[in-house]
Amino acid sequence: MRWLALIWKSLMRSKRRTLLIVGSLILSVFTVAVLQSLLTTLNAVTNNPNSSNRLVVRHKSGLTQMLPRSYEAYLRQQPEVETVCALQWFGGYYQDPRNFFANFASDETTLFQTFREEFGVAGITEAQIKEYLRDGAGCIVGESLAKKNGWKVGDVVPLTGTIFPINPRLTIRIIYKSPKPSDENVLHFHYKVLEEGVSYMKGLVGSFWVRTHRPEDIPRFIERVDRRYANSAYETLTETENAFNLSFVKMLGNIGAIIQGITAAVVVAILIVTGNTMATAIRERTTEIAVFRAMGFSARRVLLLLLSEGILLVGVGGCLGVLLANLAAGGVRESLGMAMPFFADFAILPDTALVCLAGALAVGLLATFIPAYAATRRPITDGLKAIG
Amino acid sequence: MNTDRFDLGGGTPIITLRDIAKSYWREALEIPVLQGIDLEIPAGAYVALMGPSGSGKTTLLNLIAGIDRPTGGSLEVCGHELNGLDDDQLASWRNLHVGFIFQNYNLVPVLNAFENVELPLLVSGAGRRERRERVERALTLVNLTDKLQNYPRQLSGGQEQRVAIARAIVTDPDLLVADEPTGALDAKNAEEVLGLMERLNTEFGKTIVMVTHDPKAAHHARHQIHLEKGVLDKAVEVNR
Ligand SMILES: Nc1ncnc2c1ncn2[C@@H]1O[C@H](COP(=O)(O)OP(=O)(O)O)[C@@H](O)[C@H]1O
Ligand SMILES: [Mg+2]
Repeated sequence: MRWLALIWKSLMRSKRRTLLIVGSLILSVFTVAVLQSLLTTLNAVTNNPNSSNRLVVRHKSGLTQMLPRSYEAYLRQQPEVETVCALQWFGGYYQDPRNFFANFASDETTLFQTFREEFGVAGITEAQIKEYLRDGAGCIVGESLAKKNGWKVGDVVPLTGTIFPINPRLTIRIIYKSPKPSDENVLHFHYKVLEEGVSYMKGLVGSFWVRTHRPEDIPRFIERVDRRYANSAYETLTETENAFNLSFVKMLGNIGAIIQGITAAVVVAILIVTGNTMATAIRERTTEIAVFRAMGFSARRVLLLLLSEGILLVGVGGCLGVLLANLAAGGVRESLGMAMPFFADFAILPDTALVCLAGALAVGLLATFIPAYAATRRPITDGLKAIG
Repeated sequence: MNTDRFDLGGGTPIITLRDIAKSYWREALEIPVLQGIDLEIPAGAYVALMGPSGSGKTTLLNLIAGIDRPTGGSLEVCGHELNGLDDDQLASWRNLHVGFIFQNYNLVPVLNAFENVELPLLVSGAGRRERRERVERALTLVNLTDKLQNYPRQLSGGQEQRVAIARAIVTDPDLLVADEPTGALDAKNAEEVLGLMERLNTEFGKTIVMVTHDPKAAHHARHQIHLEKGVLDKAVEVNR
């Protein structure tokens, strides 16, 4: 028999109790890991380093209001600007309304330059881009979206409009790869399809996505643009892409505070459950601990033995919890990644997993240490007299 | 103190108690349990510690076994002045020199007979093979080689106590302390356990101090010491 065997056998003393602790640890670590990862994912949406050069110019009164196409010329004239791309959320679906994914009408000539990080431009050839520019009814789709629907280059994708009264039939010209999974669940087609197909969209643009030369240029630019169009018929709201995305995340309410609140509650609950269970388990072994010490186990050795039991218990629970959270994250990516693109990036990052495991170990240590220390401080003669 | 009254024969003393006192405190009130105990027990003795309930037998035994500390006096056991050892040193000293036999056997329920006996060896750091040999020898001595894999709940009371005795001797200690070792056993099993202890004394030279209030059990020892209200009363040599 080795030390580990002794620890293991002690844990199997009450299988019900061991299962209770491991089970509640799995549940808490799972919950905390998933919630914290959700927070990380949302934060990544609003802290995208690739978008540090980009701005969004839109109507001050909201996303349903349009801006005149004529603004583009002014934006281009500004010395900070590298390029401008008009973009409109189309909101169409393919075959089934539940088959939802992000699709946009956008300026085909500036799209790749404006979003060059997202399109992994290295993989797209000049010839492909030429094909897309040539075909006014062409479209480009991300690889994971194409895979999901079994699309190949040259396939025709009929989209059914939900916001706009047109159903464009688009031919796939490019299937692109992107460094971030969420950027692959997207379809773009020529802006002209929208402008020419929908009479009231003539000369109007949902938003302009502006790429500046340097991030430092952004504040001055914002100020100038919004001042210029203040008090006009089409007032603008210019903000960084991250700020723009943040306004969507904010629609979910103060999710950060909620998640931190739940995390705190889970930690407190698990501490109480584990602490109580450990205290009972150790109290029931009062006599046994005294016998161990009488046989020559030092107080420190007994303490170490009990702590090892606690750590092994929470370690197993914590690892299983992280593992399950990982499986769940995969499920979330599969099921929600299309409908809400940022979920395509949902993952339990190693940092989150490590923090959760460390938290579980801390809970185990604390919950075991207090009763174990008390037990080893108790006189041996007391322990031998105790019943049970 | 007149030590002549407690003459347990000659030989080098393995246990020497000098003016031992032990008190408990309940709030500010001192409750003396043992007073002025002077005693020498020679190596190889088999002593029964007798006396009415509450007279301090267990307290005295615990002091000798080094799991409790006196409030006065000094004691030297197995060559060590126990007052001079700190708790950790005392723990290793016990592991090396003392085997414990309890009334309730106190086997670990989740360990089988072999593992229970092996426990004290985990402290002394003996290798795997040496541990196996020692455990098997100890269990052979108590005649339980066929029950190595049995858990305590799969053993009778008498068998449990024999496993406990094997556990007490597995480190080959000089001193065995037993507190009412037959208190929970029927007459037949008690006889068997007492016979075993007698053998450990005569054949293997173990010094044994056994607390008992059962005269039949005490009759197996070679000397009887009587405690009365915390004071040594008389010592009697047993004629066997
Ligand atoms: N931890 C303790 N606190 C207070 N009194 C105690 C404690 N342990 C023992 N005693 C008292 O010491 C006396 C002797 O106890 P003990 O040595 O167990 O007697 P015996 O074994 O002879 O029956 C008893 O009166 C008992 O109540
Ligand atoms: Mg007693």
